[in-house]
Amino acid sequence: MDINSIKTQIDSEAQGISSAGELEEFRTKYLGRKGILAQLTGTIPSLALEQRSSFGREVNALKDKLLFVIAEKQKTLLPGQKETTFSSFDAGMPGIAQELGHIHPLTRITDEICAIFSRMGFSVVSGPEIETEYNNFTGLNIPLEHPSREAFDTFYLKDYAQMLLRSHTSPVQVRAMKERKPPLAIVVPGRVYRPDAVDASHSFMFYQVEGFLVDKDIKFSDLKGLLEIFAKAVFGNDIKMRFRPHFFPFTEPSAEVDISCIICKGKGCSVCGRKGWLEILGSGMIHPNVFKHVGIDPKKYTGFAFGMGVERIAMLKYGINDIRLFFENDLRFLRQF
Amino acid sequence: MRVTYNWLKDFVEIKIPAKELADKLTMAGLEVVSLEEKAGDFIFEIEITSNRPDWLSVLGVAREVAAITGAKLRVPSFLSARRSGRLNSQANKGSLKIKIENKKDCPLYTARIIKNVKVGPSPDWIRRRLELIGCRSVNNVVDITNYLLYELGEPLHAFDLDKINPEEIIVRRAKPQEKIITIDGEENRLSGEVLVIADKDKTIAAAGVMGGRDTEVSQGTRNILLEAASFDPIVVRRSRQALGKSTESSYRFERGVDSSMVSQASLKAAELIRECCDSEESGFMVSGVSKPKDIKVDLDTAYVSKILGINLAAAKVKHILTRLGFKVKHKSKNILIVGVPSFRQDVRTQVDLVEEVARIFGYELIPSSVPAIKPCVTISERRDLVSAIKNILTGLGANEAITYSLVDRAGLNNLGLKLDFGPIEIMNPLSQEQEILSPTLMLGLGRAVSFNLNQRQEHVAIFEIANIFKGAKEPEEELTLGIALSGAKSFFTGQGLVKDEAGLSNIKGMLEAVFVLLGVAGYEFISQGEERADIYIQKKKIGSMLKLNRQALRSLEIKNRDVFLLEASLDKLFAFARPNKIFTPLPKYPGIARDISFILKEGLSVKDILALLKGKGQPLLREIRVADYYKGSQIPLGYRGLTLACLYSSNERTLTEKEVQPIHDLLCETLTRDFAAKIR
Repeated sequence: MDINSIKTQIDSEAQGISSAGELEEFRTKYLGRKGILAQLTGTIPSLALEQRSSFGREVNALKDKLLFVIAEKQKTLLPGQKETTFSSFDAGMPGIAQELGHIHPLTRITDEICAIFSRMGFSVVSGPEIETEYNNFTGLNIPLEHPSREAFDTFYLKDYAQMLLRSHTSPVQVRAMKERKPPLAIVVPGRVYRPDAVDASHSFMFYQVEGFLVDKDIKFSDLKGLLEIFAKAVFGNDIKMRFRPHFFPFTEPSAEVDISCIICKGKGCSVCGRKGWLEILGSGMIHPNVFKHVGIDPKKYTGFAFGMGVERIAMLKYGINDIRLFFENDLRFLRQF
Repeated sequence: MRVTYNWLKDFVEIKIPAKELADKLTMAGLEVVSLEEKAGDFIFEIEITSNRPDWLSVLGVAREVAAITGAKLRVPSFLSARRSGRLNSQANKGSLKIKIENKKDCPLYTARIIKNVKVGPSPDWIRRRLELIGCRSVNNVVDITNYLLYELGEPLHAFDLDKINPEEIIVRRAKPQEKIITIDGEENRLSGEVLVIADKDKTIAAAGVMGGRDTEVSQGTRNILLEAASFDPIVVRRSRQALGKSTESSYRFERGVDSSMVSQASLKAAELIRECCDSEESGFMVSGVSKPKDIKVDLDTAYVSKILGINLAAAKVKHILTRLGFKVKHKSKNILIVGVPSFRQDVRTQVDLVEEVARIFGYELIPSSVPAIKPCVTISERRDLVSAIKNILTGLGANEAITYSLVDRAGLNNLGLKLDFGPIEIMNPLSQEQEILSPTLMLGLGRAVSFNLNQRQEHVAIFEIANIFKGAKEPEEELTLGIALSGAKSFFTGQGLVKDEAGLSNIKGMLEAVFVLLGVAGYEFISQGEERADIYIQKKKIGSMLKLNRQALRSLEIKNRDVFLLEASLDKLFAFARPNKIFTPLPKYPGIARDISFILKEGLSVKDILALLKGKGQPLLREIRVADYYKGSQIPLGYRGLTLACLYSSNERTLTEKEVQPIHDLLCETLTRDFAAKIR
């Protein structure tokens, strides 16, 4: 077939094209790997030397023509698209929208906790992860050489004297109480670090939320009342609560707070270690020594503080059994939240 | 700490079942973590808080049981204070001298010489009790010292007298290069931190931590030296840390041992040894002071009520404290003078007593109240902005990741990033995996991508907002946004399923969405070669984005996939954020929209072309932007097709085609003349 008749053939065939499928067929016929143009190009080596260049030019012109025809056809076909799969609405087929990503469960829980306290009038404040030994320990009435520090085992920085990775969010108490004047109602979310070997329930990096209220006449009974509101907001109105005496160097009296096991409703199961109770936070009345360190008069002001592990709350709330899942970032995990 | 029901009963009458007692102890602050019935007894495992060393003994727990249940504590007669005074006055009959180098390290040391000891198995009752609480029986002498450690909380140690030089016992700091083989068989190189017990020739114990192997009591022992002493808590703590051995002794000394009971414990041990080992005593030497200072605290009962939020009568407060062993007198109607017993080293101020009252009164009986909170509304703008960014990125299909900020140096080096500062090193990492604070989010995100590709995820889109750390002169942390993309995202369109292979443009688009949200103006992406671009806002560099190179991919164990990463400083970005919007009045007159489609040689900067055309199109060209972009079979190789959308408008009048045409022509002309564009 000579080039001119191919041209005529192209024009007539192009006229008849009325769908994207037909256009694609047309394109393959001429421009495909074994298409007519490829065949033509394939004949070039068999031509006499003087014929080769003119024939080549003609084939190229033909190719340009084809590209133009196809592009034009595409323009006319596009708006219509009558024959595509989604032309008619089928309510059973997937809808069309951008697939949503997911917020990390630890962010969700942190935000939820902060929101509950915000609604009660607390401000959300943050502090640095690299802290001074003073803010992390001394200012919080934790003597450097005392066994009470064992509970706050700490990563120290190598080239910076007395600097460390905060082992709890409480140093922000020291910072906030120094910077501001009572009354104070503050919650502090954040990342903290302790040199714990990683297993299903330990991580060397984790999240805490800390909170404290300082004013004239703040009492232990206020601590109980406020934390009851909080726990019910997070875990539901049906839970029971108990406050147990405990020891924290920065509070006195101190209390650990348990809720009735949300899995077994207090009967005893593997999640609560057959105790029927789940420990969710530590709390207490701010120690007068802490007030003295930050320059607040303990005769004039009292206050309470509390702190909790975000992973712990998230694990209980979502039924997650391994803390490592939070930091593995498996999309199959993240997409569930 | 383990105690048994029957052992407690030696000191206090208990009328309630073990389970009930366990609950009561828990609610008084001695958390019973397990209760086990065994051999006709009950074993309580109690978590003792670090402020209460007095609870690290059966006697101490019994004292608490008495206070909680109202039963009377049966204090053995040998523990009375008068007895103690008599004991010490009878001391120092014997030839052995005690030399304490520094009384601060060791306020009190007693040594008792006991002769003709028959070492053998312990009597059954001792062995059974020790075994119930998990202590292995060794021989009668050692078992008796252990028994009294658990019963009274007083650590004791017995040396084989015939294996030490009996002239003198010296309590001193270890000398450089000094060594001791302890009873666990380990050879320990000592330092000046460690307090030791020595004779004239050699070291015989690490004070308060562990005795030496060469002087331990064994089958052949005939005569013993029984040590009962009081060591400084901090010194024992440092010794224990230096030796890397925590023992029942060091655990108690570090928390504080009641020094007023040292001599009684020694005497009680001697009595038991005489009973069980047919021995005779031949001397008791004391050096140091055994009488701790009398501590008295004034307690205002109104203060108790104020802190707790309940009304407690002074009589009730007095009653509770007396049950706990405090000596209470009235100073006035509401002020009590509270004498603190020697075993309560944790009580020094009023508030310590408030806790004691609250504990025994019962936390559960304190009512709940709701405080009046005076809100101090501060707008935490940063937190709100971070939240907004997270929401928009998840809206764009990315998932929030949280990666460890502690990473390994090798992993960081393999990424081959250029960093302004070295990473901050951790002095005491648990392993090499956590030796530095990460100066980038790219490593953690890259690893998360690798993890997910291994789980056969076709498309990974993740981001993180967290601090990165820089080892500048002062350690710095910088709030940073990281995004990572890899693989093809499949989604439905009106034309069916489409696959979009991730690339730097996708990342750029995500960041631009953040810029729009935050009202950031004047940002630029400047290419640094094909696979990297730096991000600037008003000429200030805030971050960069890149395609990981082969070496980096190999180090992350990613095969046959491309990974695209972005890292941008939010601390820097927030300085340019203008999230508060200002309204621009809507155009009064309709504009005229015209498109220009053309073919352009690859490599020419569209950004430059747009800037030039924008200038040429004034004063009527309001907006010019890329409306379409294509490559493919209809575009010659080395070229790309572009469509620019131009909007002409005026604030004064409705424009006519006639006015717009010359300007539009000028734009087209500029394109053909200056950029060799082929208008289509």
